[in-house]
Amino acid sequence: MKHTLKYIFSFCLVFSVFLAQAQDLSQKGEPAKQTTTVKNPSDDLRFMGAIPETPKPATKPLSTDKKSDSIPVKKDRYGVRVGVDLFKLTRGLYDHDYKGIELVGDYRLSKKIYLAAEVGTEDKTTDDDLLNFTTKGSYLKMGFDYNAYQNWLDMENIISVGLRYGFSTFNQTLNHYDVYNTNPYFGEAPAVISGETFDGLTAHWVSVVTGVKAKVFNNVFVGFSLQLNGLIYNTKPTNFDNLYIPGFNRTYDGNFGVGFNYTVSYFIPIYKKRLSQVVKKFQSNEK
Amino acid sequence: MEFYPFMKKIIAFAFVFVLSLSSCEKDDICDPNTATTPRLVITFYDITKPSEVKNVNNLKVIGEGMTEGIVFNATATGELKYLANGSTISIPLKTNEDTTTYSFILNSTNLNPALVNTDKIQFNYTRENLFVSRACGYKTVFKLGPTDPLIHTDAASADGLWMQYVLIETDNIANENETHVKVYF
Repeated sequence: MKHTLKYIFSFCLVFSVFLAQAQDLSQKGEPAKQTTTVKNPSDDLRFMGAIPETPKPATKPLSTDKKSDSIPVKKDRYGVRVGVDLFKLTRGLYDHDYKGIELVGDYRLSKKIYLAAEVGTEDKTTDDDLLNFTTKGSYLKMGFDYNAYQNWLDMENIISVGLRYGFSTFNQTLNHYDVYNTNPYFGEAPAVISGETFDGLTAHWVSVVTGVKAKVFNNVFVGFSLQLNGLIYNTKPTNFDNLYIPGFNRTYDGNFGVGFNYTVSYFIPIYKKRLSQVVKKFQSNEK
Repeated sequence: MEFYPFMKKIIAFAFVFVLSLSSCEKDDICDPNTATTPRLVITFYDITKPSEVKNVNNLKVIGEGMTEGIVFNATATGELKYLANGSTISIPLKTNEDTTTYSFILNSTNLNPALVNTDKIQFNYTRENLFVSRACGYKTVFKLGPTDPLIHTDAASADGLWMQYVLIETDNIANENETHVKVYF
């Protein structure tokens, strides 16, 4: 199962890299295409998501459109983006010990700042060498993302760094455990069946999030993000520990965790804002 | 594009990071220095000079129902590894039962059967399983008693008791740093 997970991780990443690079390459290649048929940037947008159309014949005369739309009016779109974490959603298909869903959303506050939140629920059975326990619960993460990516024309891609405050309420059931005995003179004792449930557990944490979102077509975005979590406070069960916290994931060294998500989201535009400094930027890029 | 290298760096970082995660999943091994399930520590004293410890001679300890003795000397070979010659021994208690019985065979290697002496002690206790950590799971701690914490009897061959006085120093067996039972002989 761990190997499967590793492959899924790798495939998701490879996929994401291709997505991101496909867009960049099409942009990078743009100057070269001026001699052929690319007329305006909207062509490029279509180019990203779909399979590229067969190249048009080179005999087609060079279009003059390129010169006439010298400085397009750049308008940033503002709105709400909602989506779902495909990694959690699909994990239940191959991992019988896991059920979970995470919804993600963000709202664009300013040119570079987005309010962001994730809400989800998880039901995970962890089978360690000595312990087997089930964690069930829900979580909410709220914070902001800062988009560090300078978009070209009307592209809306995001490479973000952000912060979240996370909160989870959950319960744990200790299914069975082994007693660690360094002197098994009488042989290994059988696992102790417990079934004890610890209710009303909570956890609070802060996470640093790094993510990429790419517009694949129209208002649909695909992205992934990595989270580094630091536990601030958690109510611990008596004679047990919070070894897994929904939203926080496995606790390393008691207070450190990592997370990953792979999202598909839909952008709902609400209003547009024109950018005044776009002309300057555009010209400086031309040099 | 000016931000293209930046993006590449982030993606490369993400790659390395996620791969490193998937590889460090298995690294939790219980540290041998962690205090886990303790053994019962018995110290032997001289009955004529009760304040002085006394070394036992070729003591072999066998659990009831077991054929081989407790290994006291893991580096020795053959029969020698079951023999204790010091003044202190540590013996494990059963973690899934409330009673453990041992035969203590003094002079076990002596060819003269008259000098080989076997005593039996049945230890009765209550148990509690305490959480240690993810890697070490739970440990069992014991409390001798509450009734008849130990029953000292002679072996079937009725060769007399070599342990003249058995004293419970502490009934809480939570670690191996202290003597739990003192035996005077």
